[in-house]
Amino acid sequence: MVRLLNVLAIVGLVGSAIYAYSIKYETIFRGEKIVQLRQQIRAEQDAIAMLKAEWEHVSRPERIEALSDQFLAVQEPTLKQVMPPEALPAKPAALPPDTTAIGSLADKPALPPADTSATPRNPHAAGQSPDAN
Amino acid sequence: METEAPGQEEHAPDDAQHNVVLGRLLSLFTLKREKSTRRIRLVAFGFGLVYCVIAGKLIYFGLHPELRQAMQQSSSDTVAAARPDILDRNGVILATDVKVTSIFAEPRRIIDRDEAVDQLTSIFPDLDPRELEAKLGSHKGFVWVKRAVTPEQQRQVYHLGLPGIGFMQENKRVYPNGPIAAHVLGYANINGVGISGLEKYIDGEGLSDLQNAGFNLTTENLKPIVTSLDLNATYALRDELAKGVAKFKAKAGAAAILDVNTGEVIAMASLPDFDPNNPVDALDPDKINRMTVGVYEMGSTFKALSIAMALDAGKVTLNSKLDARESLRYGHFTIHDYHAQHRFLSVPEVFTYSSNIGTARMALMVGVEGHKAFLHKMGQLERLRTELPESAEPLVPKNWGELNTMTIAFGQGLNVAPLQAMMAVGALVNGGIMIHPTFLKRSEEEAHRDAPQVIKPETSESLRYLMRLNAEIGSARKADIDGYFVGGKTGTADKIIHGHYSNDKVLTTFMAIVPADKPKYLFFTMMDEPQGLPETSYYRTAAWNSGAVTGKIIARVGPMLGVTPRFTPPSEPFPLLAQAGYTAANLPPPGTH
Repeated sequence: MVRLLNVLAIVGLVGSAIYAYSIKYETIFRGEKIVQLRQQIRAEQDAIAMLKAEWEHVSRPERIEALSDQFLAVQEPTLKQVMPPEALPAKPAALPPDTTAIGSLADKPALPPADTSATPRNPHAAGQSPDAN
Repeated sequence: METEAPGQEEHAPDDAQHNVVLGRLLSLFTLKREKSTRRIRLVAFGFGLVYCVIAGKLIYFGLHPELRQAMQQSSSDTVAAARPDILDRNGVILATDVKVTSIFAEPRRIIDRDEAVDQLTSIFPDLDPRELEAKLGSHKGFVWVKRAVTPEQQRQVYHLGLPGIGFMQENKRVYPNGPIAAHVLGYANINGVGISGLEKYIDGEGLSDLQNAGFNLTTENLKPIVTSLDLNATYALRDELAKGVAKFKAKAGAAAILDVNTGEVIAMASLPDFDPNNPVDALDPDKINRMTVGVYEMGSTFKALSIAMALDAGKVTLNSKLDARESLRYGHFTIHDYHAQHRFLSVPEVFTYSSNIGTARMALMVGVEGHKAFLHKMGQLERLRTELPESAEPLVPKNWGELNTMTIAFGQGLNVAPLQAMMAVGALVNGGIMIHPTFLKRSEEEAHRDAPQVIKPETSESLRYLMRLNAEIGSARKADIDGYFVGGKTGTADKIIHGHYSNDKVLTTFMAIVPADKPKYLFFTMMDEPQGLPETSYYRTAAWNSGAVTGKIIARVGPMLGVTPRFTPPSEPFPLLAQAGYTAANLPPPGTH
């Protein structure tokens, strides 16, 4: 009994030692990984800063102007072309459903049926739509 | 490790000797021999333990050279200190840090100095061999060989494998837009110390204190500085100014845009300027920031101030008539009009004909003390301080008599910095609130917090009306961009050469407000010695050069700043004047669109 306990204790000891060491090495491994990642992040941040500066450099107005003069055939904008959003014409109100034959044709992209007589189903509908606007 | 072992061997005989001395000393004090022996052992054991810890720590450091490296690495970041980014008002980068590699040497560890000098100068032909040899021969622990090298050069030096030569990461300040806004940004030197402009201001705000205190600042933990500048507007402004300076063969030019409601400087340029990336000639006296460091006689643009003073003091109204029948004599001096009308002029006519006589008379009505007090209130007599460390004191006459008041009224005899004059004109047109100009972004509420009301809103509106009238029928027609309801005032000052006003050298200025009924932006252009051209009928007055350039700037920058053009003029642009019974202001002027 005592011997078994001893053996168990030794096994436990060895097991816990292995466990402790494995945790320790895992920690070291992770720690190194963290350091590596930090270095990578730093390098990336430096690279981003560099790229940002480079982007600002290549997109500086001076260069864009020279390039547009060289490659684009556009005129200088005039003030007549500038207007506030409020000055845009209002969005037209939704049209009432077009019930004329032509309107119903538009709803069906497929070939219309053989019934091609252009008689409106409701003869007044065509006259009403402008009033509704 | 090799140095550790002999050290320990030496310890043993030392200890023995020590013990002998200690034993002799102790024998003098011993009372009970057996008891003290035990105490000595205890003490010896304690000391031994401490020595063991120290030795262990030394071995530990010896075995882990990377620890030392890491400490050096962290200190290397502060070599060329990190600085915060500088952004424009829309977040575009105006100045930033990039990482570069620099090469350093530890002279004590260099084995063959001549070889090192030979090989390094073959990679860097711009290094002076003698200077490098002197550096490497010094007894310093650390010297720079070459700052900011290219990756290719770094690779070459690495392959030389010279002992005592190392690489270090440093921050280098770059300005992606080159000379645009150079005078506002200033520049930082290779050690990351701000030398001028906002860069110096940042240092003054505590950055250098933090660095000196040893804080390891990196670009990531520094908050960027957001300026009031708009990069695109600044570029367009500088471009148009440069074209104007070249066209009129001017010696120099300056231009700026001020938001009159917030005091923010939206754009600023002063030519000639410099590239902050390569600031070798930045301190050349010709490259000063003419907007803040130069002081000039503003000429007729100052008449706006004088008329506002007389209107605000109630000495005149817009309907008053002033005698301009003949030149005004004062002692030996005679004041002439450039566009003499030889009749009584109303106040708007004094402004549009730019009458020196009329303005001088108005200033005399207010008197010398009133004039001084008004200009003091408008900030024209003291140095204007902004975030930019460079500023200049205005040149104020020492003995200010009536004659000084008369000439200063039309812009002669008082030299101020252009930005200072802009601040005053801004206050004249924004409803009468004196707002200190700034180069940092701020809101209208912040700007109005400590801003005093310096003139009545009615006076401010009268000035807006006068400037608008001047753009419709007066000297500012060249800047009357259709759709922007511009108001403006020209100013042509004869330059003083050897103590006398020159006949052919002028300094022209132009101030324009957009839009005149509710001003948002104040545009300013100044040209130093513009020449008359065939297409300007050889006129060199402000309307032809500064005025025309301002017109181009307004047309080009207006859309960028979101000023919407209106092609039907506002129905009642000047309501306060209408209330006061001056209905003419709101009628469309005869003979214009």
